[in-house]
Amino acid sequence: MAVDKKENDEKAIIVEHLTKNFEVTVKEKGLAGSLASLFSPKKKTVRALKNISFTIKPGELVGFIGPNGAGKTTTLKILSGLLYPTSGFTQVLGFDPWERRPDYLKKIALVMGQKNQLWWDLPAIDTLELNRAIYEIPKRKYEETLDELVSILEVKKLLNVQVRRLSLGQRMRLEFVAALLHSPQILFLDEPTIGLDLVAQQKVRDFIYEYNRRRGATIILTSHNMDDLIDLAKRVIVIDRGEILFDGDLQDLVKEFARDKIIKVYLSREDDIKELEKIGKLKKFDFPLAILSVSREATAIAAAELLQNFAVSDLTIEEEPIEEIIRRVFKGEMRKKKK
Amino acid sequence: MNKYLQIFKISFAQEFAYRLNFIMWRVRNVLQIFLVFFLWTTIFADQSKEIFGYNRDKIITYVFGILVLKALVLSARVIDVSGEISRGDLTNYLLRPVNYFKYWFTRDLSSKALNLSFAAVEFFLLYLVLKPSLFFQTDAIQLAGFLLATSLAIFLFFVLLFIVSFVPFWAPELGWGAQYLLIIVATEFLSGGLFPLDILPIKFQEVLYFTPFPYLIFFPLQIFLGKVTGLALVKGILISSLWTFILFYSMKKLWYKGLLVYRAEGR
Repeated sequence: MAVDKKENDEKAIIVEHLTKNFEVTVKEKGLAGSLASLFSPKKKTVRALKNISFTIKPGELVGFIGPNGAGKTTTLKILSGLLYPTSGFTQVLGFDPWERRPDYLKKIALVMGQKNQLWWDLPAIDTLELNRAIYEIPKRKYEETLDELVSILEVKKLLNVQVRRLSLGQRMRLEFVAALLHSPQILFLDEPTIGLDLVAQQKVRDFIYEYNRRRGATIILTSHNMDDLIDLAKRVIVIDRGEILFDGDLQDLVKEFARDKIIKVYLSREDDIKELEKIGKLKKFDFPLAILSVSREATAIAAAELLQNFAVSDLTIEEEPIEEIIRRVFKGEMRKKKK
Repeated sequence: MNKYLQIFKISFAQEFAYRLNFIMWRVRNVLQIFLVFFLWTTIFADQSKEIFGYNRDKIITYVFGILVLKALVLSARVIDVSGEISRGDLTNYLLRPVNYFKYWFTRDLSSKALNLSFAAVEFFLLYLVLKPSLFFQTDAIQLAGFLLATSLAIFLFFVLLFIVSFVPFWAPELGWGAQYLLIIVATEFLSGGLFPLDILPIKFQEVLYFTPFPYLIFFPLQIFLGKVTGLALVKGILISSLWTFILFYSMKKLWYKGLLVYRAEGR
């Protein structure tokens, strides 16, 4: 896998033909099943990633999207050196993640919405002090970074509170502080806003945006939160069943995957809805407005039919909204479109 | 080094978060000492009596010694490792530039330091109350041998427990069972933590001496009591060093094998 050296320098992350298989023991349900699997365990290979390739430039903010179990988190775990790839090549900032060299670990952070590193019984400041020592952050740098993080995430008052007494949203923001104290150049964020209320979500989102902009950090984000993706990610990579289905601008995702167009018609007379349904999928009807979803190829004919057979006062044809496309990605409907 | 000092500190703070638990655990220890003290003084009511080569002073010293050595050798925070692996919490450490073994060894030392300082105070108070006639070793070589054997024992138990804690890499549900087996069977029974091993049949003892277990508690105590001296002392130190060495390398090897199959679960 000869990659041009010069080209490598311009890439923060290189993934080539990455494959990851898991061996899992299949367990039948119930006690009988447990016993059976104890004596003759049935092994099954799950192919979590099938030969994926992509590269990411320094300072990019990329969203990984796809349904549950698509392989997004697996990819992040491989890039942060937690999982051993079955085959393929991965390189981040010139390091092989799997070697987990201290110099590498000091440059990255993986934040998982449901994993915490803060010591439960102690105030968060104790964990932060511990991380200062572990990452060998100079005292002054530590204080600067801490001040900055604490003020952006508005957690100053919470630093000395026992972690167990904090709410989920408060704790998540402190988890962010703990994870970013060493000013990583690369952030892997796995569902960073999961379980947070809307205000906390917005704070975390603003923070990610700022972190990317101010420090030029490279960020990969997975999320099922529509707003996270639309607000933050310019480029998205769609993963489903361990394969990359799309890699490009969020705007282009729409062009690539929109199967339907949306026709909005304002009727001047309340006609039979049944008739409208023959033309396309009626998504909404609130006289005088009717919204129809029509397959791309049939758009022209549908519009002509509408104009011919109904009393139309106005008609517009629009692309499917981005939310709709992403929602379909999450449902795993992208597959059908591919070839 | 500062890294591990900080781990020592936070670990200490963590122990204090459960102050009441800790105090109850110490109270239990004190009660235990009372119990065994009165049990053995009753058995050895006749001062001149000797059983299996133990007179009253030596058996009471042995029993007191068990309590101290158990606090020192067998009290280990590493007990949490298997849970961390099966729950996927290991992820937190793998992501940070910290050596997992050194991390846990530091935490062990912090826990042992805390236990030992309490044990020292208790020991002093109990000594005043019970006024037992204990056997104190005065020979410098024996004392040095005792310290060396105890340090080896601490390290040996650390390594043994770590190896057993790797089971969840391959069988996440078996972690607890494996630990239980090691702790109950191997360390309580075969280490001499319940009774002096030299009351066992001689053939059995001979085999046992080639396993790592007697070197956890029985062997250091025997040195203290002056029952193992000279060549036997050197031989024992050699065997336990050899075990420590072999097990340490097995631990490293298993760790890398385990990481290959680690699933970083919990999400």
